[in-house]
Amino acid sequence: MNTKKNSTKSELKLFITILQKDIKSEIRQFNDIFSIMLFGIISIFIFSSSYNTINLGVRMPIEIFVIQIWMIIFFTLIFIMIKLFVQEKEKGTLYGLTSSPVSNGILLISKVIFCFILLCFIELVLILFSFFISIPSIQALNFNGFFNYIMIGIVLPTLDLSICGTLVSALSMYSKNKSFVLPLLLFPIILPITSPIISLNIRLLEGEIISMVIIEILFLMAHAILMFSILIFVSEELLSE
Amino acid sequence: MSNFNTILLECDNISKQYGFFFALNKISFQLDESSILGVIGANGAGKTTLIRILSGLTSPTSGKIIIKGKNYKANDKSIKQIIGTITNKSFLYEELTIYENLKFFCKLYSIYDKSTFKDKIEHYAEKFNLSNWIFEPISNLSTGMKQKVEIIRILIQNPSILLLDEPFSRLDFNTIKILIKILTELREKKNLTIVIATHKIEVVQEISDTILILKRGKISKFAPKNEIDKSMIESYF
Repeated sequence: MNTKKNSTKSELKLFITILQKDIKSEIRQFNDIFSIMLFGIISIFIFSSSYNTINLGVRMPIEIFVIQIWMIIFFTLIFIMIKLFVQEKEKGTLYGLTSSPVSNGILLISKVIFCFILLCFIELVLILFSFFISIPSIQALNFNGFFNYIMIGIVLPTLDLSICGTLVSALSMYSKNKSFVLPLLLFPIILPITSPIISLNIRLLEGEIISMVIIEILFLMAHAILMFSILIFVSEELLSE
Repeated sequence: MSNFNTILLECDNISKQYGFFFALNKISFQLDESSILGVIGANGAGKTTLIRILSGLTSPTSGKIIIKGKNYKANDKSIKQIIGTITNKSFLYEELTIYENLKFFCKLYSIYDKSTFKDKIEHYAEKFNLSNWIFEPISNLSTGMKQKVEIIRILIQNPSILLLDEPFSRLDFNTIKILIKILTELREKKNLTIVIATHKIEVVQEISDTILILKRGKISKFAPKNEIDKSMIESYF
C-alpha cells in the first residue's frame, strides 16, 4: 500500500518536472506563442471588420462568432502539435526523455496538460480580444450563460483537443513528411467532435442551461475518455522507434 | 582482471532491421562489470544502432539483452535508471541554462538533492572549465562546451553503465585527456562499465579492455585489446 503511494507520488513529481520544463522552455522562446496569438488576433479582426465596417448596422450572428473562435483554435492546435513531439524529436531532446526511467504514460500526460495550458492561454487572449472587437456586434448574446460557455463550451472541448493533438503529434513524429501527416491524421480524429463543439457553443451563448446541452457534453466527454484510453494503451508503442 | 568479474551485460543475437537492410545482424557478446568496451567500425557499421539499442532508445528487431541478470525489455525502468547515455544528438534544452538542464535531468532520475546539488555542479563545472557559464543558456555555448555539459549530465547521474557514442568528436585535446582520466577513475572507483563507440582508434586502444569491431552490422572481431593492434583495426575500415 505504502509502496504504491510512494510510486504515485514519485510519478506525480516526474510529471510536474516535465511540465515545468516545457513551460519554462516555452516562456524563453515566447516568439512562437506570440506569432500564434498574432495570427488569432488578425483572424478575429478580419471576421469582425466585415460586420463593423462593410455591413454597417448588421450585427455578427452568434454562429459566425463561434466559428471564428473554433477555426482559430483548430489552427492553433496544429502549431502546438508541432511543438509537442515533432520539435523535441528533431532537436534530439526527446531521446533524453525516452532513455530516462520516466514511463511513457507520464510523458504523454505531461504533454497533454502542456498542450491544454498553451491552448487555454491563447484562448484567453482570443476571447478577451474578441470581447472588445466581436462581441458588441453579436446578436442576442446572453451574458448570464457566459460562465457556462467558458467552462463547458471552451475548456471541455480544449481538453479533448489536447488529448487528440498529443496522440497525433506522437503518432506522426517518426514519419518523413510530418507537415503533411499531422493535419491528415488530426482531421478524422476531430471530425466527430466538430459539430457537437459548435452546437454546444452556440446554444450556451444563446443562454440555454446545461441540462439542455447534456447530449453534446456527454458526447465530448466520451470522446475525450476514448482518446485518452487509446493514448495510454498505445503509449509504449507510440514513443519507441 | 575482467575474468574474475561477473557478467553485467549480455547481448544475445541482437538484430536491427530497417526494411530489407540489417543495421545490426545477430550480434552476440558479453561484457563484465567494471570493464571498458571500445566499439569501432566505419560509417554505417552499426555502432550508433548498437548504442541506441543498449540505451533503450530503439528496440532490437530480434534477440535479447540481459543487464544485471534482467531481461531489458521486461524491466525497462529499473535498468534505465542505471544507464547513462551520450549520443550524437544533444539531450540538452537550448533555452534552459546549464544549471536548469542538469537539475531537470537529476529530477528525471530521482537523484535531485537540493542540499548537495549546487556543490556537485560547481565541482564538475570547475573540472571542465565551465564555472563562468553555469547560468548561461545552452544556446550560448560552443559545440565543445555543450559536449562537456553532456558529460557532466551523465557523471552527476552516477550510472553503472555508460554508453558513449562519439564522445570525443567535438572535444579539444585537453578535454579528451580530462575525459579519459575521469572515465578511468570512475571505472576503478565505482566499478563503472563503459561502452564507447568512436572513430578514434588511439583512444580506444588507450582505455579499452576489450575491442569490438563492427563491419556492415556484423561482428568482425571481439577480443581483448592486447590481441588487436592498430593495423588490424585499420584493415577493417
